[in-house]
Amino acid sequence: MEGDALQSAWQQMTASQRTNTELQAMMKENTHPVLKRIRKQLIIETIAFTAFLFVYYDFFDGDRKPVYANVLLVSAMLLVILHNIPGYMMARQTINSDNIKQSLQVQLKKMRTYAALSIAARVLTSACLLLFFTSVITFTTQKSWLLAVLIAVMVVQLGWLAVIWLKRIRQMRTTIDLFQ
Amino acid sequence: MNETEFLTLIDQHQGIIHKICRLYRDSPQDREDLFQEIVFKLWKAAPQFRGEAKFSSWMYRVALSTAIAVYRKKKPDIRFMPAVPDSPEMPNQPDEQREQLFLALKQLNDADKALITLYLEDLSYQEIAEIAGISESNVGARLNRIRSKIQQLLKK
Repeated sequence: MEGDALQSAWQQMTASQRTNTELQAMMKENTHPVLKRIRKQLIIETIAFTAFLFVYYDFFDGDRKPVYANVLLVSAMLLVILHNIPGYMMARQTINSDNIKQSLQVQLKKMRTYAALSIAARVLTSACLLLFFTSVITFTTQKSWLLAVLIAVMVVQLGWLAVIWLKRIRQMRTTIDLFQ
Repeated sequence: MNETEFLTLIDQHQGIIHKICRLYRDSPQDREDLFQEIVFKLWKAAPQFRGEAKFSSWMYRVALSTAIAVYRKKKPDIRFMPAVPDSPEMPNQPDEQREQLFLALKQLNDADKALITLYLEDLSYQEIAEIAGISESNVGARLNRIRSKIQQLLKK
């Protein structure tokens, strides 16, 4: 297929046309597929963590733990909920720089910031949870080993999260390099 | 630009959005999501469209940037067919030829997909260079390479 034949084949491709009503619905934030998913996650997490905060005082003996441990636990829960908000803001922003390469560079910058935020939030949440549950424990050798295993699991999870973000960032950088 | 003007322009150009979605996403659900994402981003960016450039050039820029920049999970495109076809379809039919072209285009990297889309939409090298953010001479060299690659892929 030569250049002209390619162009003619391309221009003959057709697709089902959307009605104006359908297009109008797509312009609204409440029907946006990604934003809808983030909102749903935000609502579910808010309900779950609020419920947890109501019962943790009884279930996990919050009254027997120092005040700082209780404050840390509440902060951890709030961090998990709040860290979704920048993600939501990022997804609803426009992608409109002077050209495609610049748009991708701006997106890469935002992605890096959000990745750092996401990893920092996970580190802080894990640390707060650990401090809450270990605040009144008298450590024996067995308990220390158990704690070490728990920390190792958290480190692996964090490493996994970092790898996922690095992969996405590298993929975006490779695409930008292709526009050089 | 008000809502009615925007809808009229999108209605006129929605064919290209469909093609971009088909080129950059594999499953029908992902294409549907990307179509909606592009329309949403275009509407959000519409107040910044001053009319200095052609609406189509601005639309290509936003639509292609969205298709490339928005993260998507790599999922295998699994479709269940109602029945196994008895015989292969007749080759060299116009539809078959278009399908082969699309399959070849889908094998290109994201940047090459954007460049060839703009070329196939009959944009000049200068317009392609401005939209993509690369030099005009680079556009020419890259398009030659992409066209040869497509020819090779179509021969296979």
